[in-house]
Order: sequence, then structure tokens, then C-alpha cells
Amino acid sequence: MADARIDVPATAKPGEIIEIRTLVRHPMETGFRRTQLGALVPRDIITRLVCTYNGIEVFRAELHPAIAANPFIAFSTIAVESGTIAFTWTGDNGYSVTASAAITVG
Amino acid sequence: MNSDNPNLSRRFFIIGSAAVGSGLALGLNIPFGPGIVRAADGSPEVTAWVVIRPDDTVVIRIARSEMGQGTLTGLAQMVAEELECDWSKVTTEYPTPGQSVARKRVWGNFSTGGSRGIRDSHDYVRRGGAAARTMLIQAAAEAWRVPAAECSAANSVITHQPSGRTTTFGKVAEAASRITPPKDVALKDPKDWKIIGKPVRRLDTLDKLTGKQVYCADLKLPGMLNATIKECPVFGGKVKSFDAAKVAGMKGVKKVVQVGDTAVAVVADTWWQAKTALDALPIVWDEGENAKVSSASIAEILKAGLDAPQAFIGNQNGDAKAAIAGAAKKVEAVYAYPYLNHATMEPMNATARYTADRCEVWCPTQNGEAAFAVTLAASGLPADKCEVYKIHLGGGFGRRGAFHDYVTQAVRIAKQMPGIPVKLLWTREEDMAQGRYHPVTQCKLVGAFDAGNNLTGLHMRISGQSILAAVRPQALQNGRDPAQFQGVAPSGEFEFGYGVPNLLIDHAMRNPHVPPGFWRGVNINQNAIYIECFMDELAQAAGQDPLEFRRKLMGKHPKHLAVLNAVAEKAGWGKPAPQGVFRGLAQMKAFNSFVAACAEISVSGGNKVTVHRIVCATDPGYAVNRAQIERQIGGSFVYGLSALFEQECTVKNGRIEQQNFNDYSSMRIAQMPKVEAIIMPSGGFWGGVGEPTICVAAPAVLNAYFAATGKRIRSFPLKNHGITMV
Amino acid sequence: MQRGSRRRFLAAAGGLAAAVALPSTAAAQATRTPFNDMPDVIRRLVGSAQINPGKVKLGLPPLVENGHLVPLTVSVESPMTEAAHVKAIHVLTEKNPLPEVASFHLGARAGRASVAARIRLADTQTVVAIAELSDGSFWSDSTHVIVTLAACLEEL
Repeated sequence: MADARIDVPATAKPGEIIEIRTLVRHPMETGFRRTQLGALVPRDIITRLVCTYNGIEVFRAELHPAIAANPFIAFSTIAVESGTIAFTWTGDNGYSVTASAAITVG
Repeated sequence: MNSDNPNLSRRFFIIGSAAVGSGLALGLNIPFGPGIVRAADGSPEVTAWVVIRPDDTVVIRIARSEMGQGTLTGLAQMVAEELECDWSKVTTEYPTPGQSVARKRVWGNFSTGGSRGIRDSHDYVRRGGAAARTMLIQAAAEAWRVPAAECSAANSVITHQPSGRTTTFGKVAEAASRITPPKDVALKDPKDWKIIGKPVRRLDTLDKLTGKQVYCADLKLPGMLNATIKECPVFGGKVKSFDAAKVAGMKGVKKVVQVGDTAVAVVADTWWQAKTALDALPIVWDEGENAKVSSASIAEILKAGLDAPQAFIGNQNGDAKAAIAGAAKKVEAVYAYPYLNHATMEPMNATARYTADRCEVWCPTQNGEAAFAVTLAASGLPADKCEVYKIHLGGGFGRRGAFHDYVTQAVRIAKQMPGIPVKLLWTREEDMAQGRYHPVTQCKLVGAFDAGNNLTGLHMRISGQSILAAVRPQALQNGRDPAQFQGVAPSGEFEFGYGVPNLLIDHAMRNPHVPPGFWRGVNINQNAIYIECFMDELAQAAGQDPLEFRRKLMGKHPKHLAVLNAVAEKAGWGKPAPQGVFRGLAQMKAFNSFVAACAEISVSGGNKVTVHRIVCATDPGYAVNRAQIERQIGGSFVYGLSALFEQECTVKNGRIEQQNFNDYSSMRIAQMPKVEAIIMPSGGFWGGVGEPTICVAAPAVLNAYFAATGKRIRSFPLKNHGITMV
Repeated sequence: MQRGSRRRFLAAAGGLAAAVALPSTAAAQATRTPFNDMPDVIRRLVGSAQINPGKVKLGLPPLVENGHLVPLTVSVESPMTEAAHVKAIHVLTEKNPLPEVASFHLGARAGRASVAARIRLADTQTVVAIAELSDGSFWSDSTHVIVTLAACLEEL
């Protein structure tokens, strides 16, 4: 799997509610796990997913260690206009991954 | 009733007994709204625990799984005791996990393992029986217009004492089922038990003897196809590619499917056709890094752990290291215990039928709810569209409680052939290759003596694999695996039976890539060998009799001592044994029961061992069925002695080498020693029966072997030393 | 977390105990892991507002095997107009090492207040979803999930 996979319809009618599915590869290390020698494995998680539609934020998820590895998040948005739906995942240790998809609405 | 599950409440599923034999759940008709729950034949429930038929047959619901350990019968005895029914008319059925979810887990936990089936359920199943009895008596009393207090029940007959009028359960069941179950019921005093404690015949044995019992491996459903599977033999590896075209034209082959990332299956008309095609199917594995691992490389890592500076402490008092440093005399030994497979006689299997509206699974399982959880996850369907039908297992031993990989596989295959029931049955070779193995460990023990030959300190360092780290890391305590210290723990169900002034028992965790699991007894198998054989080594170094040496350390452990004394006395310890017969002792507390064994063996030619007899004592608190306990003791010895003499799973190129019973053998009936069981329940607590005794046979035999030959064997199985059981 | 502060919180939040099917106080405190302060976190999210049962539908399987990967859906009945929409949905657990799972920030552009994710559950426990609406009101749903592996290894 590539780092991030997004599922956005290529076209939609104006005002249609579209489903968006996102999947990103990441271990979501909780910070509660220990090695077999007893050392605590430090937390390393994605803390935020932001989705923008032609630059305007339409969805934001704040994530905590209880989100399972390889976070899958699905949500919906209204197809208001053609343009770009963009996704940014950020997290611990400077993690930052982006993806985007074009949508034609009309 | 539960109006969120209209499908379930309208569904009326019956599997004919001709198809699958006894022990299979009958469908339930659960009405909308309040109402009587009825079995398929219309007979009413009187509480969720019993269905009572007009002919006075009582069907008792059993949530736990029968796998030959007798729990089905034991639980039924407990319900029947309080119910006061005619035991000769008792039969049982398994409620399904789907019904359990729909009825908010009215039957409690389905999990069967940890020797908990009886001791975790005894209270509430007895209360279920008592509540049903109360309702039946009340129904009769209301019909007669007499006080319920003047009525009593026995053998499914209700009697109004003053007038002598009688009626039967079957006649009043309908009325009883409408009565609200009482909230509080009093339970009988154990001294009044008539069925509990009696060696009644098991309810499942006859069908198993006559062949009427259908196991899931034998299941035949209309339109069913057969499948078999191969998962990457190197744990952690994946499927890279496979060439389905090479086998697609073979007789009976219907489909070749990838199952998840790691396995390939062939579906065919018959199982043999599926197996033949799978054997011929070219598969390329991406074996991954673990392909380099071998038993030797694992042993190296474990050996280093024996002296590693960091370890998790399981039991400690005083300063063992100081006592050892200042000892007048030290005794040291290193032991090793191998990987073992469960090798259930019925290989892993599950049958699944999937459509977008329903997913049904038939499988052997020690935990119907876990099989159901796995079915939900693998099918992606909601709970009210899934069901699991449990059938008696052909062996569990811990392989089928916490692991339902075979259910996931079956559902994934069935999803690729919607509407068709597919029976997935592993080959024996696959079962050997894809186990959940008894973990591998080594142990270094050091004992310290003062000038007077008194034990002043003991350090037991275990190095090796943690089951919980792999299977349930949430149970670790700051990284420490508490289960590693079974039998040598500071307190509780696995309390160490000796008082040692300076004690340190610790664990250097080293987790190889081989998937570990709960093998019958779990960690008491190796811990009992480690500590009980070393106790004999200490006794020898101190010039003392093994029993006397132990007794001196057991002043604060009276129940451990009681079972040890019982076997010693019965075996005649201290009196001369017959010519050529040598004895060995062992004791441990496990799963809340106190167990001990004295083995009597002969050795010829230095390496041919005859185990003549093993005297075994167990104190499980209460004894529900003494005959069954005796059989469990004997059966546990078959499992434990087979492992001791014959069994290990070795690793080469990242995979398990053993393939079948030719290289993973088992003892034979002719080799079975006479087992003399002393069942000595001391009351006041509930201990397990299925597992505890397994741990004392091996050390008792090993200690007897030393007595016979002067040789200590510290690595296993014995066949590796040229020692065989005859 | 102090026992007293939890009881004070329940009194202040009014309908919380009714809205969110929390286990009995004694049992919850006996089993609560040291870090999990779900009532405190809820109070921080909600302030002194009442949490009403309803409008929110939390979807979780009733049983999971080990809790590593639990599919979750949560939806809220709402017209999702500028005037009346869901601002955020918060998901919390009572027995994970930390109570917070995720907060999903929506708005009228969402069209539908419906999110799916995959979560981790450390043990058999109750999961809570709290929706914050644009009118300042809070609504919730909760589901009890059994982790079968936890039930089977209660006391090893």
C-alpha cells in the first residue's frame, strides 16, 4: 500500500452528498507498549487529519492512540463545486503526509 | 424481547438430528415483546437455563464447550441438583452466541479454558436451576391453591406434603414459564448434594462410542463444497504468487482462492480432490526475514537471557543474590523445554456459508462467543445477520479458545463463493505447521546452602517466550508477563509451595517469531519440571531424602503438603519398593488446585523406561464428579507423558519441521501406567480439574529416573537422549 | 483521579449518568486503569451543559476477539444546515489507558453527520459518543463491547 489512499468520486452532481474514504499506513504506536526488555516504546501516532475543499476545511479529525493502526476514516461532504479535495495527515515526530483528488461537479 | 433483531426473533432454525447428531443447538422461537421463549418443538423455557418438555425431559443449556473434559456433564449436574429433576431424563443443548448477544448474555461467559468451566459457572448455573425449581413449585402450588412452602420437588415430581398430591414438571412447565423468575434463591448446602459429587455417567460419551456423534470435521450440509488451505509456513511471511491454472482442470476443483495476505486454498467437490490439487498447486511465498530462524538460533538467544542483567521479577523475598554469593555450597542447573503442538485429533476446521444477508459458521470452538466475534469481523455483517453453531470439539487443549484463525479463513473463502456452504478442513500437516505452540523456554536455577546443608537461597531465572506478549499484550503489567510464573507465584491460584528465605524468580523475556499459545497447563508444564526436578537436585546435594527436604520448606503451605503427603503415603514412600522399581515425587498448585504425584518406574538397559504406576492426589476444593476427575487425571498424564517422552516442535528455515504423527508421536495404550487417583477436596474454594494434574507426571517420572540411573535429564523430549517408554 | 470528584461531576452534568450507561460507581472505580479519566474529559468537552440521550447512533460490534481493530460508525440525526448542524462528534472509552479516541469536526458542509473509523479497545467496556450541535446542545449514545480474549484470560 502507498502511504495514503483516498477514495473520492471523480464526478458528482451539485449539492450531492459524497462519501469520502481515507486510509493511511501508520503503526499508531500507542506509547503504552513495552519491549521484551521492559522499555517503553514512545508514542508515535497521527494526531490530525484535515480535509479541505478548494482550500476550505470541511472535515477535521483529532486522533488519539486508540485509533487502530493504519487509520481508516470515512466521512461525507457536499459536492459544492469542481476543484480539489485535499487531505493532510500530521502527527508525532514531524509526520506529515498529503494527498489530493480532483472532483468535477456539474 | 429484543426488537432490534427482528430477523433473529422470526427465525426458526432447526438442524435435524440425523444430519449432525446430538449436542447441537436447536433453534429458538423468541417472540416480539414479552412472552414465553420456546424451543423448536414448542416446549417452554423455565428460565433461560432449562426447557421442560411435557414428557418431563429436561433440556439444560450449556454455554461452555465440551471437548472430552466432562464439563458438559458437570455443569448439567449442577443445574439438575438445584432443579431437582430426574437425572435420567436430562439432555443438554448449546445456546448459540447469536442468541446470547440477542438475550444480553443471559448464559454468561462461553469461554472454556483455564480450567474454569465449572469453577466460574457453578454459582450462577446452580442459581438458574434453583430459580426454575422455584417457579415450577410455585406453578403447582398456584394450581392447587396451596402455599408453595408446603410443596417440594424431587426427581421432576412436585409433592404437596400435607395432602400427598403430586404432579410433574412437564405438566406445570407451561404455567411456570409465565412466572417472573425469583431474584434471590437459596442454594443447597453441599452436604445435601445428591447429584453433584456423584460419579454419574457422562452425557456425551455414548454418542461418541457408537459413532452417532458428528464432529464438525464430519459435517455434511446440502450443496456443501470442501476446501483445504496452506498458509505461509514461515510465520510472518506472505503469498507472493500462485499458479491456479496448473490445477484448475483437476478433477472436482471449483476454485483456487487467496485467503488474506498469507494463505491459499482450493475448493473442490471432495476434500481429497481439494487436497490433491493444493499439493500440486505451485505457490511462491515471500518468506520474509524469519526464514533465517532455527531452533539453534532461538536457543542461543534464550541462553543469553539466562544471565542477562534485566529480567521481570515474579516472586521475591529477601536477597537471593547475596545468599548465593555468600553460600557455603551452591547447586546450579540449566533446563530447557521445547515448543509443543496441541495435535488435537480433530484438525482445525470450520464450515461457513455467506451471503450478503447472512453468514453462518459451524465450528469446533472452546469459546462460541469468540468464534462469533471472528465471524462478525470476517464477514463484515452485523450481529443479527450472523450465527455460529457449536459442536463438541474433537480435542481443544487450548488451541481453539483464544485462536479462531480457521474460522476467519472459512468465512473469507465462503465470501468468495456466496450462497455455498464451504467446509474448510486442514490437513494434519497444516495443523502441525500452523499451531499456536507451547512456548519455548530455558531455565537456570541456583540454590545456596549454608554449612549445615540448609537451603538459604534460590534463584530461578526463566528465559524465553511470553504467550501474553503475543496474544494479549494488554495483560502485561509494565511489560511483565504474570502467567510466566504459574506454579511459582507469590500468592493466588498458582502459589509457590515452598518457603525459601531468600528467593528470586525472574523472567528474561525473549519472544521468537513462532506464534505461542495456551497448551494444556500453559506454563506449569515447564515450571513444574524446572522447580520439582531442581528440588530433587537440591535434596541430593544436601544428602537428604527428596520428601523430607521438601517437607522442611512447606510448613507454611499445608494444602500443598497435604497432597504431597497423600501420594507419598499411598505409594509407600519410605518403605522399600519392589526390586528394580524407583520412585519420584512432584507437587504444585495450579489453577487454584493443589496437586501431587508419585511415579514408580523401572529402567532397563539404562534407557527403556516402564512407568508402572503414578499415584496422584488433587485437592480442587469441591469435586463435582469424581469419576470424571479420575479420567481427567489419567488423560492429563497421557498428554503430559507423551510430551515428555516423544514430542517437540523444532524450527528450521523459519518453519516448524514436524509434519504428522510419524515425527510427533504419542504414547500408546500399552505404555499407560496404572493411575491411582486420590481426590481430596478440602472445601471452601473452587479449583480447576482439566489442567492442574498434567504438570506433576513429568517431574515425578524424571525424579524417579534419577533414582533409577543417577542421571539428570534437563532437556526434552526424552527420545532425544535415546530414552523410550516401553 | 479522586472518587469524590467523579461524583461531583455526575451531579453537575445532570443527565450524564442517565444518558450514558456508565457502570456502577464501585465497579468502575475498582477496574478503572490509573490514567483513564473519562468523566473529567467529558466535563472538559461539555462544560456545565446537559448531555441528552438521543440523536446519536453509535455502531460497534457487540463482540470483538482481541480489540486491535474494531470497526466503528457514528451518525447524528441533524438537518446539517448552517442554522442547525453537528459541530463535532467525540468518541471516548471507559477502560482504555486514555479515554479519548477521536474528535471529528464537521459543520454544515458535511451534508450528513456520519463518520466511520477503526478503533482499539483494550478490554470489555462501554464506548461513548457525544455530539456537539451548533445550538450548543450535547447528545450522546453508548455501546457496550465485549472483548472475548479478555473474558477468556481473566485470571491467568
